[in-house]
Amino acid sequence: MAQTLMKGNEAIAEAAIRAGCRFFFGYPITPQTEIPEYMSARMPELGGCYLQAESEVAAINMVYGAAGSGVRVMTSSSSPGVSLKQEGISYIAGSELPCVIINVMRGGPGLGSIQASQGDYFQATKGGGHGDYRMIVLAPASVQEAIDLMGDAFDLADKYRNPAMLLADGIIGQMMEPVELPEMKEYVVDPEKKPWAATGWKPGDKKPRAVVNSLYITTEELTELNERLQARYAEIEKNEVRYEAYNLEGAELVVTAYGTIARICKSAIDELKQEGINVGLIRPITLWPFPKNAVRDAVMADGVKGCLTVELSAGQMVEDVRLAVNGAKPVEFLGHAGSLLPTAEEIKEKLKSMREE
Amino acid sequence: MKKIFVLIGNFGSGKTELALNIAFEAAKRGKTELIDLDIVNTYFRLTERKKQIESAEIRLVSPNYACTNVETLSLPAEVASAFDLDWDTVVFDVGGDPAGATALGRYHDDFAALSPEQLEVLCVVNVRRPMAGTPEKIASLCSDMERSARLKVTGFVNNTNLSYATTEAELRDGYETLRAASELTGIPVAYTSGKREILEKFTAEGHDERYVGKLLPIDIYMHRDWETFTHLGQ
Repeated sequence: MAQTLMKGNEAIAEAAIRAGCRFFFGYPITPQTEIPEYMSARMPELGGCYLQAESEVAAINMVYGAAGSGVRVMTSSSSPGVSLKQEGISYIAGSELPCVIINVMRGGPGLGSIQASQGDYFQATKGGGHGDYRMIVLAPASVQEAIDLMGDAFDLADKYRNPAMLLADGIIGQMMEPVELPEMKEYVVDPEKKPWAATGWKPGDKKPRAVVNSLYITTEELTELNERLQARYAEIEKNEVRYEAYNLEGAELVVTAYGTIARICKSAIDELKQEGINVGLIRPITLWPFPKNAVRDAVMADGVKGCLTVELSAGQMVEDVRLAVNGAKPVEFLGHAGSLLPTAEEIKEKLKSMREE
Repeated sequence: MKKIFVLIGNFGSGKTELALNIAFEAAKRGKTELIDLDIVNTYFRLTERKKQIESAEIRLVSPNYACTNVETLSLPAEVASAFDLDWDTVVFDVGGDPAGATALGRYHDDFAALSPEQLEVLCVVNVRRPMAGTPEKIASLCSDMERSARLKVTGFVNNTNLSYATTEAELRDGYETLRAASELTGIPVAYTSGKREILEKFTAEGHDERYVGKLLPIDIYMHRDWETFTHLGQ
């Protein structure tokens, strides 16, 4: 199939459609507005549903409703808008329903700015809403990877009956790259596979009514829900960890970075290689479950002096890296909050100074 | 004689790159003004290359608050200089899609006062972009933009590209699609544009010149290297 030149936001929307998503509820906010805009043009062509809600809170609750019927449904927003969705996400997780949420991150806190950021790592991976829940979080580093991960996000959400998030920095949303799109998939709710889906009950039906609920009023029942969820999260941690390893062979230092920032790190690593300095990279693709074993193994390898985490934030993922390394070797941080991108030169300089310490 | 180029088209069709190339070429021969009329997308705009534009002695008109991350749906009064002052060439770089083309509607009377040979309204096409891949989609997008802009498109520009991955195959597909779009709409293909080496390979294939138009070789000014995010211009 011929390649297409796509902006990340458009690619995310088209990939969701091709994964069988026919329900989109959202609200505009820069830098992700091209997603609802694209959906508003495409959904009517396919007989799908595009609805611009009156707010982010309304949109996530529409997602909650549609998810209860088993269909593939998504919403998208950017940082402040995703904050507004947190209550709904907790309800969806508590009701054990699959859906996909896109966060194209911009600068914060508060209204912040409209430039790119990675400041929502904590919110995405540590449970932005209330209660003991987890969300599968996928972080693309290119427009093509955003496309590929959209299909996976829907599959994982369905497999584990849990919300999945695509966490992209604003650069992914706005940049254009040549891409290949997957084939169109029509998704039909299979009552055998999704017996929990509320698809309509009539008197005389043998199957019980499907009830969408996250309220468990007795301690016993709520304990049972939480035990079920925790067992599921343990399964996800066992099965679904993804990362990219780059140039680890004979590395003196290891860089950890995700999203587009990892690409800048790769450029720095390639340039250092020309100078005879070997630095490896672990790029987490699933931020939750975090690839802690891969990070630990890479940093603990013989000859590796320490680790540098680079983020477009004041330092959030670095906490998970430090937990993985558990004090055995130094973990340093380089990053900016406020959307000023770290440069390859800056990263090279920092790595060189760590080498001399 | 003053000549005005108006560039409209789908998001990501390459309007800004073409506007810069047309202006840099025109500035070698006469007084040139560039108008950044994009009021729909705050990222990747002409004004990011302000230094480079002004060092070529081109006058740049930017929307109020351009490149400050503040978006206002307002047009600077200075746009009137395109019509009132004495230029050899003026290039309007307009926002994408019918939404972007709406900004032109306000200057309807000024454009109408020009003689036909003074004005080229060019619809820039990249068939590798979504929503612009078929003759029918191009025709429909084009007529929607004409309605929003209150202007008639005088020609298509085949600027089909895949950014850094472009080959002559892109221009060839653009040629085939635009030939059909041209027959459908009656709008001629006025230009085919691309990097010099790609244009050479494309023209060597021997296509029907009626659907190639004039050749517009371009240099790349707007692209950012996504592996390093090197900032250019300002």
